[in-house]
Order: sequence, then C-alpha cells, then structure tokens
Amino acid sequence: MRNLLRYAVVIAAAIAAAGWWFSRPLTLPAADLPEYSGNPVAGAQVFWAGGCASCHATPVDGKRARGDAKLLLGGGLELETPYGTFRVPNLSPHEDGIGDWSTLDFVNAMQRGVSPDGRHYYPSFPYTSYARMTLEDVIDLKAFLDTLAPVAGRVEDHALGFPWSVRRGIGIWKRRYLDATPVVAVDSAEPVVERGRYLVEGAGHCGECHTPRDRFGGLDTTRWLGGAPDPEGKGSVPDITPAGKNTGDWSAGDLAYYFESGFTPEFDTVGGSMVAVQENLAKLTAEDRQAIAAYLKALPAD
Amino acid sequence: MFDAKMMLTLATGLMLSMPAAFAADDPIHERHELMEDVGKAAKPIGSMFRGETEYDAAVVMESLGVFEDVGSQFGDLFPEGTETGGDTEAAPAIWEDREGFEAALEEWRSAVDAAIEASPATLDEARPVVGEVFNACKNCHDGYRIDED
Repeated sequence: MRNLLRYAVVIAAAIAAAGWWFSRPLTLPAADLPEYSGNPVAGAQVFWAGGCASCHATPVDGKRARGDAKLLLGGGLELETPYGTFRVPNLSPHEDGIGDWSTLDFVNAMQRGVSPDGRHYYPSFPYTSYARMTLEDVIDLKAFLDTLAPVAGRVEDHALGFPWSVRRGIGIWKRRYLDATPVVAVDSAEPVVERGRYLVEGAGHCGECHTPRDRFGGLDTTRWLGGAPDPEGKGSVPDITPAGKNTGDWSAGDLAYYFESGFTPEFDTVGGSMVAVQENLAKLTAEDRQAIAAYLKALPAD
Repeated sequence: MFDAKMMLTLATGLMLSMPAAFAADDPIHERHELMEDVGKAAKPIGSMFRGETEYDAAVVMESLGVFEDVGSQFGDLFPEGTETGGDTEAAPAIWEDREGFEAALEEWRSAVDAAIEASPATLDEARPVVGEVFNACKNCHDGYRIDED
C-alpha cells in the first residue's frame, strides 16, 4: 500500500514536471534576428495595418481615441469577454510601456506571445496572427512605435476566471493554436492575392474577430472568416467570405472603396467596432486595400 | 420678462417644429425612411466619386437638397418613448447625451449647407465639400447608431 502511494506521488510529480516543461515559453533565439535596423516610415504602415491603436490608444472620456490621440498608446481599454476582463497594456516608448524593450523582446512579444520577463501573453493580444508577419515588418513597427510620445502609467493586470487565470496554461494552448503557416492556400501566381493574404492573416488579424472560436478559445480555421459572435458579447461579426450575406456579393472594388471611405455599396456607413478598423485601413496605400479585397474575393465560398 | 423678440423666437420655434410633429405619428418609421432617402440620394454621388459615372452637378445639387430637407426634420424624430421598438438602430446615447447628438447632427447640417453654398461644378470641387458631409454621416452613426452586425 505504501509502495502504491509512493508510486502515485512519483507519477503525479512526473506529470506535473512534463506539463511545466510542455507549457514553457518558447522564444526566438537572438541569433535568428536579422541584421536589420527598422524603418519608422515603413513601420507606420504596419502600425495602421495592424490596428494597434484601436486597442492600445488610451480612451478619451470613456470613448475610443480619435485623431492624434490614437498615437498616445498608454493602454487602459478594457475588453469584456466571456473569459473575463482583459486590460490593454501600455505600448508607448515609456518605461511603463515598451521603452526599455530590445528588438528581440518586441519580436518575441509579437510573434511568440512571450513577455521580456518570460511570461506568456494571453491571445487577446493577437500574436497568433502577428506570428505570420515578416521579421522586417515587426522590426519596422518597433522603429515607428519608438518615435511616438511616451505615456506614463502601468495598466492593472487582467481579471479572468479560472482556468483562464492560470497564465502558464497558455503555453499548452499555444502548442495547439500558435501556427505561423498561412491559413488559406492561394494561387502564388497572383501576387496581389498573396499580399492580401499576408495583410489579412498577419498584421491585419481580421480572423481574430471574423472567425469563430472553439471551446478552448482558439480560432476554428475550418470556418475561416465565416463570421462569429462578437467577442465582446453583443451581436455578431459578419461572414466576410464570398458566401457572406452582407458582403458576399460586393465586388473587389466595392470592398476597397469601403475600406477607403467607410461607405457600403448602398451608401450606408461602416458601423460598430469596424469603424476604427476602417479608419486604419484608410491610411494604407490603395494597392494594399485592393490586395485585401482581392484576397477576400479569392476565399473559398463554402 | 417676455420681450417681443423672445416671443417671436418661441413662436417661430413652435411653427417650425409643427410639421415634424404632425408627420411624426410613427417617428421610428419616419426617421428610418428619411435615412433611407439620404442613402438613396448619396448613392449617385458615390458612383461619381468611384469614377463609375460622369460627374453631374445637377444630380449632386439635387442630392444635397434631399440632405438639407432631411436635416431640417430629423432631429425632431427622437421623442421620449421611441428609444426602442420597430427594429430601431437609434442608440441610447441619443437620449443620454442629447446635446452631443444635436451637435453631431448640426455638424452634418452645416456641412450640407456649406456644400450647397459651394455649388461644386466639378468632381475635384465636390470631393472635399461633399466629403465633409459624408464624414459627418459617419461621425453621427459612430456615436448614435447601434450596429451589431
């Protein structure tokens, strides 16, 4: 009997050790970082494509930041989700934000979801999409962020329910859901569609809201961009594949014009959380907006 | 206490609000129809902006006239008691922050007036002035319209 108990304790310890090892943060080795110093001008385009401001800009009088206030990235927005409240951290170049970060720290945060002190980030920060970006784009983005005004103030930690509150568990989640390979196979003979895929599946992180999640909170890529309940609990986010009832019959030109102007083909205006996204898309080049539209039209319609 | 000027202002205000009050037996329906009219009037300008149709100053002025007409009635169509019902997309913010709503509406009306005043003869003249009108549409919708899909 005593032997059996001892045996059980040993097994339990082995499982715990394996779980700890399996859930450890995996980072990019410093040697894999390219010899490249970021270009802040190119980084501005990455910034708008990524919509960083939509979450990280500090809300003004309880409302989303507009105009130049979008460049004050002190964080503080609260996202109410079924998992609990996520509080968006300070992304400004201040010591309370990312002011002390190395390029490697930034790359590991963006693409591996690991903080400089070696903890997992929750995937409310969409590194699952950013993992598909090129290292050059990520480094350009950091160069741009470093040009912005530093904002003081640390944001309180998230308030999540169990088991989501166990941060280490994200390591196991990542094994299943953090995958830098493209979601949709596209015809590589069409560079416009490839560029669109890069923007949508990478920096643009469109799938994070437009794709439904499974019970573990990972994206169900079999229903890629097929519409989903609003992650903040009200209403729904539309299906943007060619099968979607809202935008399925829009032409690529309709989509690109919507991204540029915020007007639908029926001349209704963009609404809900897409307003901020559209304002960001309006800052991209016309070519990039057309590429996003071309990719959406090239999605399988099932 | 009541001087003549003030009485006149009050009387004018009352008269101006009367037609809307009569029309507003069903304000939720009425305001929805007006927004549909605005959308229909905006569409031909949109195709000109997208280069699908030739610029036509007369059509643009006609559409701006529709906007002006709607702008004069729209603000009166949100009385207490019409916050919900009839699939209205009016956001609670209209009643919680009436001043802000009126300001957003006024921004649109002034943009419409300015565009009519400018009477744009070419596409290049129309883009900035009508662009302001369209931006005002979006601003007001952003704060005061519910959009859940």
